[in-house]
Amino acid sequence: MKHTLSILLQNESGALARVAGLFAARHCNIDALTVAATHDPSVSQLTLVLHGSAAVLEQIVRQTRKLVDVIDVNTLSLVGDDNAPLALATQP
Amino acid sequence: MTTPTQTALAATGTDHHPLAGQPMTGAEVVVQVLADEGCGVLFGYSGGAILPVYDAVFRYNAGHPQADGREPMPLVVPANEQGAGFMAAGYARASGRVGVAIVTSGPGATNMVTPIRDAMADSIPLVAICGQVPTSSLGSDAFQEAPVSNIMGACAKHVFLVTEAETLEATLRTAFEIARSGRPGPVVVDVPKNVQNAALRFDGASRLPIPGYRARLRAAENARLDDEACARFFAALAQAKRPLVYAGGGVVAAGAAPALRAFAEAFGLPVTTTLMGLGGFDTTHPQALHMLGMHGTAYANYAVEDCDFLLALGARFDDRVAGVPDKFAPGATFIAQVDIDPAEVGKVKPADWHHVGPLAAALERLTRYGQARGIRPPLDDWHAHVAALKRDHAMDYDRESPLIQPQAVIEAINRRTRGRAVVSTGVGQHQMWAAQYFDFREPRQWLTSGSMGTMGFGLPAAIGAQFARPDALVLDIDGDASIRMNLGELETVTTYGLPLKVVVLNNVGDGMVRQWQKLYFGHRFAASDKSLHRKDFIKAAEADGFAWARRLEDKAALEATIEDFLAFDGPAFLEVMIDPDAGVYPMVGPGATYAQMITGEFIASRGAVPVEAVEVPSTSMF
Ligand SMILES: Cc1ncc(C[n+]2csc(CCOP(=O)(O)OP(=O)(O)O)c2C)c(N)n1
Ligand SMILES: [Mg+2]
Repeated sequence: MKHTLSILLQNESGALARVAGLFAARHCNIDALTVAATHDPSVSQLTLVLHGSAAVLEQIVRQTRKLVDVIDVNTLSLVGDDNAPLALATQP
Repeated sequence: MTTPTQTALAATGTDHHPLAGQPMTGAEVVVQVLADEGCGVLFGYSGGAILPVYDAVFRYNAGHPQADGREPMPLVVPANEQGAGFMAAGYARASGRVGVAIVTSGPGATNMVTPIRDAMADSIPLVAICGQVPTSSLGSDAFQEAPVSNIMGACAKHVFLVTEAETLEATLRTAFEIARSGRPGPVVVDVPKNVQNAALRFDGASRLPIPGYRARLRAAENARLDDEACARFFAALAQAKRPLVYAGGGVVAAGAAPALRAFAEAFGLPVTTTLMGLGGFDTTHPQALHMLGMHGTAYANYAVEDCDFLLALGARFDDRVAGVPDKFAPGATFIAQVDIDPAEVGKVKPADWHHVGPLAAALERLTRYGQARGIRPPLDDWHAHVAALKRDHAMDYDRESPLIQPQAVIEAINRRTRGRAVVSTGVGQHQMWAAQYFDFREPRQWLTSGSMGTMGFGLPAAIGAQFARPDALVLDIDGDASIRMNLGELETVTTYGLPLKVVVLNNVGDGMVRQWQKLYFGHRFAASDKSLHRKDFIKAAEADGFAWARRLEDKAALEATIEDFLAFDGPAFLEVMIDPDAGVYPMVGPGATYAQMITGEFIASRGAVPVEAVEVPSTSMF
């Protein structure tokens, strides 16, 4: 199952590396990643795509929330297999 | 993503620091924040990139002598920075306060990686301050430059690289806040040399804005069990006939030992603890089952097999406890879990009831709720069953052997210390024997590298603990291989005149490795035998200034030697030549279930359990 994570990150030295490093260390492959500025120069917005089971997603989201620079994490999951008609499920 | 735009929160509130507004260098700011945070001792090794801070520590100590003439913040110097890290960790583990280590850039910082990771894995609060090359040289392959923020970012709870001197004070204060709050852990602050030399103005209160962290922390710390959650908990408990508490290191970290005792007594629940949880529940308590897991007591592990309700408290079902999660506590139809870290809930095993919040408050709430309603589960049959398990499957070993058994050494010490000593260990068989055969009456008496399992931890951790508790009897129970890893710290013991007691259980090699090689690698002892090693530990200890250093080889002299050793007023070193074939039992092998636990020759096992270790697929073994 494909998941999209939207992460609000404090724009700190090394913050992006810590997010990417967390996924690498926890053996979770990032399929796509974009970083964008927000209206607040001290905050960046990361959009990250990965695939895995719901349990994998839940654990990596919880671990991401433990990173000190992370302000917020939201997920958008495509429910069902990748080719099925899309149903969207959001999680807090 | 590299522009450090974080601005320190302005000092607010009415508490005005007496030094607020004073001009200070960055290095002086570092030292003042350490003093404000209540650091009674620092551990570290100097070098070019940290010299300004070392100089500021020197000047601070010279300028603030205590009434007895002693320094307010002595700087304890190890043989190797790894030693400083483990000393800070031993200090933190024994006291509950944040341990502080200060090292130079490059090799000083990389020598700290192992203790930082060790502290992360065991949730120990540390602040490590590393010197760094000047900001103008960052990324230039400068002399003694290492990418500390990258390296430590992967190992620590958090790492700060201070690139703007104005944020130094707020960063340091925030580092302490992060280290001790929530699930504790190590925080690294990398301070370039020009930041240490910067001319700053002390404000006395600033902190960094870390809105996400603080919001999540507040949510967890303010979480309280409501009536409905309590009702569901007790409804499930009422259905249970064989409830068991499984308590982990979180009980110790949360200061929840008194609340756990009151809770367990109120409802008559037996308690088993993890390696990290030892002391979180008095092991001599009638409801105590001592340790569970890979080398847990047989009776604790059987109780886990037999229970129908499991309450995990600050415990994370790690692979040394739940090697096969599906088959762990197979009869437990209800699993309840309390933790301060939301990521641990249901991570390994799904929980039927959980609470993320402060442990002591949760246990107190449950106790009040249950007592107010007169709840006292009728558990007589279960109590009788547990008592029978403890009697029939008691810990035991080869008492008739002419060779000294390691368990007998621990028992002889324990008879005299009566569960009151502070005990640190290396990693291996001796660590497990110490865990199994010592009593632990209180939390923070048992200092061991649980999750990382780092050999070399014992001696420096004992040194740090002795600084935290100068009047306590501190013992390092070490292995001949483990102690070699930080043997240089023997000299640190005598340099600082610490009265700690070092015991080396010498089985001439990597005993735990040999045990696995015996069981799983056809007795091929690749690189684990040390019979050709020439070290004379007694001479080594004497060379480092130990006035009491003896080798014990005669079983008949055991009691008298231990008596003399413990009575010595000052640092003492005892090497005991133990039976090199002694094994650690019981053992739930890697990848095995509790039902496949082997108990060895001297502990009764139950049912049709193999006496020999079962081969498990090598893919599932580690
Ligand atoms: C730093 C480190 N390297 C390697 C290991 C793997 N290891 C675990 S126990 C052990 C043997 C320890 O020998 P010793 O300290 O003499 O303890 P014993 O098992 O003999 O009591 C080894 C090599 C480890 N835990 N830590
Ligand atoms: Mg050994």
